[in-house]
Amino acid sequence: MTSMPSAIRTVRWMVRDTFRQSLSTKLFWVMLGITVVATIFCLGVRVENDTPRPTHPDELKLVITKAEAERVGWDKVKAEGLRVVSGEMTLGFGLFTVEIGRNRFDSVRYLQLWFAGVLADNIGVLLALLWTAGFLPTFLEPQSVTVLLAKPVSRWALLLGKYLGVVLFVALQATLFVGGTWFALGISTGVWHAAYWAAVPILVVHFAVFYAFSAFLAVGTRSTVVAAFGTVLFWFLCWLMNTMHHQLATQPLPNMSAAAGFLLDAGYWMLPKPLDFNGLFFAVMGAENFAMPVPEFQAFQVQGHFQAELSVLSSLAFAGVMLAIAANEFRKLDY
Amino acid sequence: MTAAAEFQQIGKTYRTSPFSRQGVEAVRGVSLTIPAGSIFGLLGPNRAGKTTLVKMLLSLCKATTGSIARLGAPIHDRRTLARIGYMHENHAFPRYLSASELLRFYGGLSGIPASEIAPRAEKLLQRVGLSDRKAEPIARFSKGMVQRLGLAQALINEPDLLILDEPTEGLDLNGRQLMREVVREFRTAGKTVILVSHVLTEVEELCDRLAVLVAGKVAYTGSVKELLHEPKAGAKQNLEAALKPIYDRGARS
Repeated sequence: MTSMPSAIRTVRWMVRDTFRQSLSTKLFWVMLGITVVATIFCLGVRVENDTPRPTHPDELKLVITKAEAERVGWDKVKAEGLRVVSGEMTLGFGLFTVEIGRNRFDSVRYLQLWFAGVLADNIGVLLALLWTAGFLPTFLEPQSVTVLLAKPVSRWALLLGKYLGVVLFVALQATLFVGGTWFALGISTGVWHAAYWAAVPILVVHFAVFYAFSAFLAVGTRSTVVAAFGTVLFWFLCWLMNTMHHQLATQPLPNMSAAAGFLLDAGYWMLPKPLDFNGLFFAVMGAENFAMPVPEFQAFQVQGHFQAELSVLSSLAFAGVMLAIAANEFRKLDY
Repeated sequence: MTAAAEFQQIGKTYRTSPFSRQGVEAVRGVSLTIPAGSIFGLLGPNRAGKTTLVKMLLSLCKATTGSIARLGAPIHDRRTLARIGYMHENHAFPRYLSASELLRFYGGLSGIPASEIAPRAEKLLQRVGLSDRKAEPIARFSKGMVQRLGLAQALINEPDLLILDEPTEGLDLNGRQLMREVVREFRTAGKTVILVSHVLTEVEELCDRLAVLVAGKVAYTGSVKELLHEPKAGAKQNLEAALKPIYDRGARS
């Protein structure tokens, strides 16, 4: 056994090395490129003649756009007492114009919800998992790791350092993405919504949880293909389990047995919860006022079943277990 | 004199698949003592178990049977690895690092205080003839340059025991010369070197003692001098001639 300071030193050196490695890859520039494109897009957003927010509880909240009013007929709109909005959002520095049924603040938050909640938290996390899947299998190749393993270091510390290095890299990219789009939207629209920054920890935790599973596959198989596609497949499986759980918790099937319900609950609590990460960001952004939530999640939340802290903690516990199993496997590996 | 390494009844069987109980026996009942302060050669034909023995000594793999002591401590005490330098023929160093970054990284992992790493790395790069290329990424290095860097990383912790596995593979004349100088310096300093090599002239020139492994078993152990003056052979013979009957005998048993 090596002493704790030695383990901390090892983790520190491995994090530094992995971070250095990630900066030298094309991946760094690809991810940075996506951030730059998203930031430029946000700089080109303008919101004009937006409808003011309702300020009184009795104030009519039903609003429709001009195009909708023309489709329905102006007489009917008047008879129903609907408010017609005249707001416009221009994208691409004035290239495209869309009518908006929200005020400036909500319109910008809606965009932020799309950027972080839909694009980054789903597609972004999946791409990051695919792109970083090769870091560990390459590191575990006998030709790369034997000299490191002959140093007075613990194998678990090497693995943990490598894992944390990749997570730190993704955290940097998430911060640049969220920071860049937040700043650009602030400049172009005057809306500086601080809650948007909550996307950074949510994205990082979401990635870290599934990357732990990737590490487990990498140690077990030393194959980039298995680590990459196995993790993506697992993400979809967890998403399905998460969605089914919320669906059946709010609308149970009439003939569902207690055992099936128990298994579903056990699966939900044991596995990571990608839908809940989305829902958490939705809640932090206060998005129920301006966007349509995922129906399964909304029903689950409305009925008071959603426990954000427990959901995140149980996902993190899963990551911890996966890392512990991976570290134990790595400890036993013969080189 | 204490032993730098002591193997007692060591066996190592590699499982052919995770689901199979059968395996390949790489090392069979090896008992061997490597005296401290010696330059010890480990010889044998391909797949004799030499590298497996070295890997077990470095805790890269675990012995199936028997026990190993490393620098006077049980094998599970990883702290002794801080006193060992290891270089092997075909190591893939991180290509994104420069030579000096690589030495700082390996030095850091060896537990060398931060203040000492940079001057040591500088001195070693000078020693192995890479000081003018220290800031370049390793990706641009030739195989010989990577081998020189491999030697520098093995020396970064100023080890008491240096393990060289086919160290001159890919090295030019100057590189081989350098390697020999390093081994001789270890001898002068009373430190131990384990040399795994197929280059018999090198072994003959540098080693005091050697062990010959054939088919996972020790077929000969003793001093180089004794082997070269084997009474049955009469006059002094060269190492190749002396090893031939040992290899043949070992393969038959």
